Amino acid sequence: MKQLGLAYFTDTHLTAMGLLIFFCFFVGVLFWVYRKSSTPLYHRMEQMPLLKDGE
Amino acid sequence: MNTTGNLIEKIYYDDDIVKKFTLATMIWGGAAFLFGLIAALQLAYWPMNANLEWITFGRLRPLHTNAAIFAFAGNAIFAGIYHSSQRLLKTRMFSDVLSRIHFWGWQLIILSAAITLPLGYTQSKEYAELEWPIDIAIALIWVVFAVNYFMTLRARREKHMYVAIWFYISTIITVAVLHIVNSIEIPVTFLQSYPVYAGIQDALVQWWYGHNAVAFFLTTPFLGLMYYYVPKAANRPVYSYRLSIVHFWALVFIYIWAGPHHLLYTSLPEWAQTLGMIFSIMLWAPSWGGMINGLLTLKGSWHLLRTEPLIKFFVAALTFYGMSTFEGPLLSIKSVSALGHYTDWIIGHVHSGALGWNGMLSFGMIYYLVPRLWKTELYSKSLLENHFWISLTGVLLYYISLVVAGITQGLMWLAIDKEGSLVYPDFIETVVRIVPLYWVRALGGLLFLTGFLIMCYNIYKTISLAPKNVPDAAVAVERTGFDEVTKEAHRKLEGMGLVFSVLAFLAIAVGSVIEIYPTLSLHKYVNPNNITDPYTPLELAGRDLYLKEGCYVCHSQQIRPIAAEVLRYGPASTIEESMYDRPFQWGSKRTGPDLARVGKKYPNLWHFSHMMDPRAVTPKSIMPAYPWMAEKNTDFLVLRKKLSVMKMLGVPYDQDVIANADIHAQKQAQQIAADLESNGAPKGLEKKEIVALIAYLQALGQKGKAQ
Repeated sequence: MKQLGLAYFTDTHLTAMGLLIFFCFFVGVLFWVYRKSSTPLYHRMEQMPLLKDGE
Repeated sequence: MNTTGNLIEKIYYDDDIVKKFTLATMIWGGAAFLFGLIAALQLAYWPMNANLEWITFGRLRPLHTNAAIFAFAGNAIFAGIYHSSQRLLKTRMFSDVLSRIHFWGWQLIILSAAITLPLGYTQSKEYAELEWPIDIAIALIWVVFAVNYFMTLRARREKHMYVAIWFYISTIITVAVLHIVNSIEIPVTFLQSYPVYAGIQDALVQWWYGHNAVAFFLTTPFLGLMYYYVPKAANRPVYSYRLSIVHFWALVFIYIWAGPHHLLYTSLPEWAQTLGMIFSIMLWAPSWGGMINGLLTLKGSWHLLRTEPLIKFFVAALTFYGMSTFEGPLLSIKSVSALGHYTDWIIGHVHSGALGWNGMLSFGMIYYLVPRLWKTELYSKSLLENHFWISLTGVLLYYISLVVAGITQGLMWLAIDKEGSLVYPDFIETVVRIVPLYWVRALGGLLFLTGFLIMCYNIYKTISLAPKNVPDAAVAVERTGFDEVTKEAHRKLEGMGLVFSVLAFLAIAVGSVIEIYPTLSLHKYVNPNNITDPYTPLELAGRDLYLKEGCYVCHSQQIRPIAAEVLRYGPASTIEESMYDRPFQWGSKRTGPDLARVGKKYPNLWHFSHMMDPRAVTPKSIMPAYPWMAEKNTDFLVLRKKLSVMKMLGVPYDQDVIANADIHAQKQAQQIAADLESNGAPKGLEKKEIVALIAYLQALGQKGKAQ
């Protein structure tokens, strides 16, 4: 198994598939992060450092 | 959305630990900058090496880099993390005892580095030079820090973790992984060890570590600090919280792959080089995302530059971050690397990051923290302004001079005339040309140090004039975020410290495993017809002296398959030629020429004369002299142990050679000493270190079957 994996390690189809998976995942995260419904949460999160906290 | 809890509690933050780390930052910062200035002067004016082994450039440079990274930046990170995390998590650190063990343990580690490095105890792996007992201490103290931090996370009163906390978590996890994997070594003596990795394995693991030390020690924690202190100082929220999320995940995922860009055109397998290059170029996007996010946080607040001048430091830091993260991917492109690698361009690049990004951000943070921690006002804003402008001038002078020096020398190395010969065949010609720029660099360093000393005075006055015995004020906090009802995965994720940490670990594990695992099967890449012979016992002794004196700091042992390089140094290096090299000695900078094939190029006497006084054989050389090597004796007895460790690691030594290593070494030493003597060198050198070193130098490039 290990030898097989290493033998095909530089197979361009496999690496292209890996790239595609990573890229799709990235685009997915992008959509997820920029959904409108999360605006109130992010608004609260970004205020966190600004709270008066005995600085 | 209901985010309020019921109970308001009064708690005290542990600011004493923040004060301790802040002061340690300043003390070690002074040391790091001073060592750097001396090292810069040594390059401009070699007599600054003073013929003293402890402060010779080869030993001082690792001391400078370790002090700058782990002592100055390290303490700054800890100060900021302890200060901001308590406030963002609304809780005191989990354990005051663990915090203090962390502090004093870290200072002891720094102290032990400051003692062992000048004495020549080194693994010769850049930014991982410290020997195995100190490596173990680093791992233990890091675990103490991690336990303290994760237990604090567990006890937090704010369920949601602000993005700065994410950056801190990824730092804690990744630095632990990097340090442990890169430091797997077999001890030979109390202060010497050999790494389990050899040749290309060692090169890949080391630069996976080395690059990610920049990523996860000098970038992610500082980005966390940036996401806290820039909004705090400007009193405005971060420009885009959404962007910060994308910034975080993209950065930690991509950064870990980029290490092989340090090894372009080397004998590292081509696929690993390409992977390193591609991911380095991709890194451009998240890095600039973060930089833009930081700068735009100040949108509408630029007037604060007049009333809150410390913000200038943050603006400069972010600008330098943007500059160096533009330049990094650029230098990772193979054709640019062909010009820039091994030159001072890289040193300039590193310092625009270290002085401009880490330095300026740390200074801004210290100016923010000290008046608040000591409950007073900053002594002088005009001194702060002076510090800023003097430091900025220093960094710019430093950076510009070294980029110009690097490109000039790189072009000279590559220049080939119409007949196909090198235009500058003598390496020293290319050095002499850039020495004036070394003076400008030293001036830049002097200005940076001067600015820092102004800061020290300002901070000293601030603290000494602060009201004494002011009791710490209790802070009213309430639990928030725990009673939210939500089905959204992201919100849950932010609230789940453990799951978040595991995901962050997975993000860095993917790239690490894919790059490192295949090279662990070294035999796959080694051509059985080209297998090299191992070093003789005396050559091995000489090799360890080569490491001890830090020769790798200025000399590479890796000839790239580039026409000018092959013309200058000989055929390109092969995987097999470094297959027994523990640690590898490919180097990262050529202040002097490559040595991969220096063996048999010069007679023994040439090497002897060169080491005693480099200018005797190479006029205008800037190399230090090593007179002590003709006085100190080689430790022959320890060779049996060294060879047996090498044998255990797979180097094919016969039992006879191991059992009689000292006798074999002495025999070879006598031959070299006799040759030296017959050519006019002093008598009785056979036991001296210089003979072992010559044996090693003469073996370089001579071990392959092809030779």
